[in-house]
Amino acid sequence: MNRFACIRALGAFLALATVPAAPAGADPASVITVFAAASLHEAFTAAGPAFTKATGTAVTFSFAGSDSLEQQLAQGAPADVFASANELQMQKAVAAGITGSDPKTFARNRLVIVVPSGNPAKIASAADLAKSGVKVVFAAPTVPVGAYTRAGLKKLDGRPGYAADFDAAVEKNVVSNELDVKAVATKISLGEGDAGVVYATDVAPLGTKVETIDFPPDSVAEATYPIATVKTAPNPKGAQAFVDFILSPAGQAFLKARGFISP
Amino acid sequence: MIRAAIAVASALLVAFIVLPLAGLVLHLEPRAFAAALATPSARNALRLSVVTTALSLGLTVAFGTPLAYALARGRFPGRRVVDAVVDLPIVVPPAVAGLALLLVFGRNGTLGPALHALGITLSFSTAAVVMAQVFVASPFYVRAARGGFTTVDRTLEAASETLGMGPLRTFAYVTVPLAAPALLGGLVLSWARALGEFGATIMFAGNLTGISQTLPLAVYLDLESGDVAGATALAVTLVALSLAIVIAVRALARD
Repeated sequence: MNRFACIRALGAFLALATVPAAPAGADPASVITVFAAASLHEAFTAAGPAFTKATGTAVTFSFAGSDSLEQQLAQGAPADVFASANELQMQKAVAAGITGSDPKTFARNRLVIVVPSGNPAKIASAADLAKSGVKVVFAAPTVPVGAYTRAGLKKLDGRPGYAADFDAAVEKNVVSNELDVKAVATKISLGEGDAGVVYATDVAPLGTKVETIDFPPDSVAEATYPIATVKTAPNPKGAQAFVDFILSPAGQAFLKARGFISP
Repeated sequence: MIRAAIAVASALLVAFIVLPLAGLVLHLEPRAFAAALATPSARNALRLSVVTTALSLGLTVAFGTPLAYALARGRFPGRRVVDAVVDLPIVVPPAVAGLALLLVFGRNGTLGPALHALGITLSFSTAAVVMAQVFVASPFYVRAARGGFTTVDRTLEAASETLGMGPLRTFAYVTVPLAAPALLGGLVLSWARALGEFGATIMFAGNLTGISQTLPLAVYLDLESGDVAGATALAVTLVALSLAIVIAVRALARD
């Protein structure tokens, strides 16, 4: 169906169309536009007013998937700062000559096992994901978090307490490959699945509806978040000020409050 | 002047509909097409889409025909309310429909404990795919069939009964053939809506190859992973399938 083929283009168009414009008559030097990964929504929205208070520069955000943002920037979308949820999209931006400064890692995110409150399937550790009858909900392998999850499970194969084909056994328990990490969180918080894997930052909004279990050390990879100014930034000074603010203790506090780990 | 305006408006809309679909076909690389359709996930998605839409269509006809007949002919209290409620799924966003199904039929849903007692788990199953399709698609059939039954000339039915045909045979040999164009039109619309169903399916049935990953879900996932060739191949298959059915039904209706 044509509408699925058009989803990408339409999404990019809508995101461009909805980028909040600078207020009419405002000094362009006192406004910046930040393109940030969807998972940064809560943290950056909270940090915005503090940045404006500290620098006098107003900030508007456009949140979307890092891949969509990178594509929009490549198409010449006007932005001052790009904050990505993974290295890959930032590397693409660097290769395309979009970035105006060296990307700096400003946050890390880790994966956790999430179960509905009450833990109906009695999951005590990652090993229990392979127990027969456990309904596991993952993000699809094509989604970054789904790929991180599977790479992490593979690392556990053959460790003490884990079978040699542990990851294959878990894969057999998967009842759904969701299209994004928030959908995994939703299915678990509704109790439809027994266990899922999400970012630590996805857990806070779910409150008491879920419980979390940590992965063993050295299994699942951490996601790193790089930030850089945009080469064609309308307000390069403001862009650099925002990057500096996010890397400063004041900016880091907002990220920590949402479950991110400092670089 | 008016004729020219009509011609221009019509041509623009037709072009707007045809161009993107033609773009899909033009984008197709023949070798990639064959390769994309040969993958197990593509074949599973195709098979699942055919099977589930056939089932949902069967259920829609079995339950929708009596309902449409009752709405067209019946005089019962609350008929107008039922009439409006049946149309609701057409305007409810599919993702909301999926959430609603989950909240009622899900493991922790309203009917969850009762279903569990019977040993039935619906979420993440093929049955959930069919339920999502019936929910979003059946109103299209009921709507059309209701209209069809309303326009049937009652004197012809009366004549049939006077000539000794029972109500059931009158319905089968007089009412249904007279309403056939509307019924077939409704069937096509309903089936097409079920075939394209995405939001309610991903919400209620999830996404698993062979169990709940229908063609639209497979197309979307291919796109997400950057496999535009694979997505295009599946999308063209989806369009071709729809076109074949529309043409077949048109031909049937003409006979």
